[in-house]
Amino acid sequence: MIRPGRSLYSRIILVIAIVFGAGSLALGTAAWFYARLAADDAYDRLLVGAALQIAESIYAQEGTISVDPPVSAFETLSLSTNDRIFYKVLDPHGAVLTGYDDLAAAAANTGSHEPLISDSEYRGFPVRVAVVGRLVSDPVAPGWAHVVVAQTREARISLARDLTLKALLLVFAMTSLAFMGILFAVRRALEPLTRVERELRSRDPKDLTPLDVEIPREIQTLVSTINRFMDRLSGRIALMQRFIADAAHQIRTPLAGLASQVDLLTEETRPERKEQQLIRVRERTAELGRLTNQLLSHAMIIHRAEVAEFEAIDLTALARQTLINAVPLSLDRDVDIAFNDPPEPVLMRGDAVSLREALSNLIHNALKHGATTRLEVRVLAEGDAAVIEVVDDGPGIPVSEWQRVREPFHTQSATGSGLGLAIAGDVVRAHGGELCFRERSEEGFAVILRFKRLNEAPQLPTAGEAS
Amino acid sequence: MRILLVEDTEDVGEAIVARFERIGHAVDWEKDGGVADEVLEVQVYDLLILDVNLPALDGFSILKRLRQRKSKTPVLVLTARSQVDDRVDALDLGADDYLVKPFDYRELEARARALLRRSAGESTNQLVCGQVTIDRGSRAVSINGTPIDLTRRELTLLEILAARPGRIFGKDELVDQLFGFDDEPSPNAVEQYVARLRKKLAGSGAEIRTLRGLGYQIVCP
Repeated sequence: MIRPGRSLYSRIILVIAIVFGAGSLALGTAAWFYARLAADDAYDRLLVGAALQIAESIYAQEGTISVDPPVSAFETLSLSTNDRIFYKVLDPHGAVLTGYDDLAAAAANTGSHEPLISDSEYRGFPVRVAVVGRLVSDPVAPGWAHVVVAQTREARISLARDLTLKALLLVFAMTSLAFMGILFAVRRALEPLTRVERELRSRDPKDLTPLDVEIPREIQTLVSTINRFMDRLSGRIALMQRFIADAAHQIRTPLAGLASQVDLLTEETRPERKEQQLIRVRERTAELGRLTNQLLSHAMIIHRAEVAEFEAIDLTALARQTLINAVPLSLDRDVDIAFNDPPEPVLMRGDAVSLREALSNLIHNALKHGATTRLEVRVLAEGDAAVIEVVDDGPGIPVSEWQRVREPFHTQSATGSGLGLAIAGDVVRAHGGELCFRERSEEGFAVILRFKRLNEAPQLPTAGEAS
Repeated sequence: MRILLVEDTEDVGEAIVARFERIGHAVDWEKDGGVADEVLEVQVYDLLILDVNLPALDGFSILKRLRQRKSKTPVLVLTARSQVDDRVDALDLGADDYLVKPFDYRELEARARALLRRSAGESTNQLVCGQVTIDRGSRAVSINGTPIDLTRRELTLLEILAARPGRIFGKDELVDQLFGFDDEPSPNAVEQYVARLRKKLAGSGAEIRTLRGLGYQIVCP
């Protein structure tokens, strides 16, 4: 039975969506990181520029250091309208010359011209701070004066956000493009499967020839498996058709005979002829009954070969019980029936019902066509094999016929349907064993069923007693 | 003897009735399962020949109800259904024998005869096999009216075998039935009893056969 699984299409899409989603997330994070770096870089230049301009305006006059911050310095910074600016200027002794006293003089003494930039916080706002040193060469109080300028981050953040958004837009555009490309590619890639499906659907139901379509390498195994399966199926069907044709022939022949004899009987007036025709009618009827039973039994065996579960079976008990059941009370000649059981238990795994059917067919055959005075069933263990032999003192089957008699409807006798050995053969095959014969000797002719013996002995079900 | 045939197939029923009436039995024929069940409630038969597929009430139900009423009437089941399952069902439900359709009428007669013989034994307390008569009440055995001496076990053995002529009894089965808990049973002892019994029955027509590996059966002519 076909269980509908998730479609290939949705499987592929799911995987690709996950990959793309994770990729976009990583790219977005990276974009945000680099955008911040770029924004800082740009605004830091302005910040340092302003600080330098203020530093330029520091001058010393008669031992007094003064500063006069130029307007242009603040104009540069006011480009970012939402940001606030704080500054202070320190003389070489660290005293505040002008500006906000409480502005933290982060890393105050730089002792160089190199500007120092850092992140900090002022009055609860995150700020960027630039510190620039200026060497005051006043003879009275020489040393480094410092300018500290801080700016809030509004403009930087908005620039970084802007940059990131644009980058994400690009990522999104690219992803969508790739996604659509893959959808298309997947659809194209699955097309050969649709082609195979179309080819199979448009076929005549009787057409079981191999598929002939051009297919990519990846589904070659699938298609060749389908082809092999169809080959097996067509073999089975051919066999079945032959079986049905043979069975039809086998059923119609005695039916026609029966109808003819009955027809003759209604017209016949001579009592001795009537007697003969009646005997014929009875024979044909018995033959038909037997044939019907065998056909049904054959069908059952084939069915069981596919569904029956194997269990551990005591072959000796099964064979003994089958023999007792198979011998009719109304046997017209005196046949000496014997059963030969092995000294040790002989076990096997199998289907008791089919095994019984196989053995009773062999016993019936032996009683009907073979055994003149003696019929013996033997169970024995031969190394790894569990063996049943049906031995009778009848004429047996000539070696030249051995192959043919295993096939259904091989019949050569007037009364046999020729299914008995085929049934036994099918059962043996379903159990992985073999059916063979032993040429007529002093003890008689033997039909042999050989199975794989089960060595360890678990608890035994009552295999033989059920019937 | 009185036989009830429950069979809804006209052709088959007619043939069975004709066959058994010809050999001197009284046969009642019912085609409906429900009616057959009612008849069985008031009338005792020596043999019931029962088809499985019937209108109103099927053969298995009739059989079940019959056994629930503790009736010992021997029952021979006829079935055309899948052999294997029906066999098991029929015997489990208390049928004494079964035949699968289409059957050989000689086989039907042979099996019916065996069951009727037992039935006769039940009602008259006598089992007859050839010239041998076994009186179960007085536990006496005679050949052609001449009493013969049998030990207790020999008599029991003969009773078991003669109750179902033609049936094959396994040696183990006989050991179980012949020996009580206190005795030391042995298959060899069974062989000895059979050998002695055989000797005593010589010339009576009743023949105890040994089926090697299977057991024993008595054949009455």
